[in-house]
Amino acid sequence: MSLLNRAFEIEGIPSVMTTWRDGVARMAQAPRVTFTKLPRGATLGAPHDVAQKRRVLEATFELFKQEAPIKPVILDETMDEA
Amino acid sequence: MDILENREAWAEHFEANWLAHYEKTGETDFKQYQYVRNEEVPSGKAIDLSQSKLLLVTSSGAYLRDSQTAFDAPNPLGDYSVRTFPHSTELTEIAFAHEHYNHQYVDQDVQSVLPLRILENMQAEGIIGELAETVVSFHGYTPDVRRLLDETIPQIIGLAKEQQVDAALLIPV
Repeated sequence: MSLLNRAFEIEGIPSVMTTWRDGVARMAQAPRVTFTKLPRGATLGAPHDVAQKRRVLEATFELFKQEAPIKPVILDETMDEA
Repeated sequence: MDILENREAWAEHFEANWLAHYEKTGETDFKQYQYVRNEEVPSGKAIDLSQSKLLLVTSSGAYLRDSQTAFDAPNPLGDYSVRTFPHSTELTEIAFAHEHYNHQYVDQDVQSVLPLRILENMQAEGIIGELAETVVSFHGYTPDVRRLLDETIPQIIGLAKEQQVDAALLIPV
């Protein structure tokens, strides 16, 4: 997905991404990304926790307000894993 | 700027290591896999999301369970195809074909990775100007980056341009 993040930006279409997988996104040089500590399979938050998903989305949408590239933003979002 | 700066070197390593091991043993060994690496970061403009048309892209392997063919999730070489479905799709119509993440969360709540209703609410509140009618879905297990670059990404960019979007939200799993 980091390469798609780059592809959109190169095409002149700003794109934002949120992921728990910070190492891969950093190596690929994704231009607009937030990092969480959420588990794989729950990228936006815990099941049925709409407030958490909103926080992640709103923080990620903030990246549209600046010109890219933007230093990755680390979000303090986590959840208890089953 | 290139999406992948060192494609030939990446491909050489892929063929000599991960792919050669797979062809010899039938097994995938990600200790032999080289994740992509770039040096430069693309630049781009700022936008006002409240005045923009937003495309949602998911790599969760989401598809319409009753009317679309599932992604080829068991394929060790990956599936590079793309599905689309309306943003207004009922969450119960969505299924996920992807064997590289645990489905325990999406089984409880599709919106853990695919926030269709949440984004609609954000549109209604004026945070998002407009949602693109069509959601784009692919299968995020794509070990052959050359095929991702040559097949998947051009399809997705083409779909974005067809819908004349101003911005994209990318949600991996």
